[in-house]
Amino acid sequence: MRKYPNPMNPCVVGVDVLERTVDGRGRLHSHRLLSTEWGLPALVKAVSLGRRRHGDCSAGIPGTPRRCACELHPVILGTSRTLTYIKEHSIVDPVEKRMELCSTNITLTNLVSVDERLVYTPHPENPEMTVLTQEAIITVKGISLGSYLESLMANTISSNAKKIMSSFPSHAPSSRASSPSQIPSAEAWRLLLPSDGHSQLHFSPQPLCVQTCPCLEATPRNGSTTGTHGREAVEWVIRSLDAELEDLAAPASERA
Amino acid sequence: MNGVGKACTDMKHKYNKCFNCWFAKKFLKRDSSNDPCTDLFKHYQQCVQKVIKEKEIPIEGLGFMGHSKERPESSS
Repeated sequence: MRKYPNPMNPCVVGVDVLERTVDGRGRLHSHRLLSTEWGLPALVKAVSLGRRRHGDCSAGIPGTPRRCACELHPVILGTSRTLTYIKEHSIVDPVEKRMELCSTNITLTNLVSVDERLVYTPHPENPEMTVLTQEAIITVKGISLGSYLESLMANTISSNAKKIMSSFPSHAPSSRASSPSQIPSAEAWRLLLPSDGHSQLHFSPQPLCVQTCPCLEATPRNGSTTGTHGREAVEWVIRSLDAELEDLAAPASERA
Repeated sequence: MNGVGKACTDMKHKYNKCFNCWFAKKFLKRDSSNDPCTDLFKHYQQCVQKVIKEKEIPIEGLGFMGHSKERPESSS
């Protein structure tokens, strides 16, 4: 499953200091820019294919029915590159021996927002140990991703996938079977829905097939999901989407 | 570790060397003497800001984690 660097902990390929000051309390503040490399080639490929078709609006993906979803493709990544940027603010307090790091992505903000905070403090009982507190707020921008996926599914390029999906009811409860990846799940892709809960995905004759995320505990609200496993949940969703797209794209590229 | 622009790498390494020394020997020991790396940092920053502008990296002031402002949506 960890075939690529995952987007929640991507490969940092560059670090630059933007600002550094010591405040009135003797704490060192640093603002840094991190250059990070994603690892989702299927998503990038899908976007690249879409962008090549953008001019004639004939199709989003080669081999698909003639339906233009080009207005959706650039929204996803806006680039065929996978380099993204994160801004980090750190505070080092030499008196309290406390370090706090806050980071947020400043690119791909139309797709996802990841705000993360890490705090290192001395262990209250054992001075040889350090306590790390980590929290993250991850917001998946359901409208653009959900619409894009709806478009992708509506233009399904694999006839086999179509047959499999149409054999399941469109509103099946989150149950599991021998091939969980083929069962439409209302649970996992609800992450991708806008807050009003209405999405054309819900009524699509070819429902999105995503396995129920086993680590998702918090109830999604307002298009975002939080909780102790929020980071893992989004990581799982993005990995699943990447795998789904890879499967869907492969037959088309062979035919193209 | 490289930075956002290859042109700034040398300046970055020179600044980092100076900073690391000051951080370990002065700052963490609560020595309040001035930061001796100011000029190196200035030089390094001029280069970085130029690259950021060229690459159109959106680093305008964004607060987060309790100090958030409205986040502008970007796709690049």
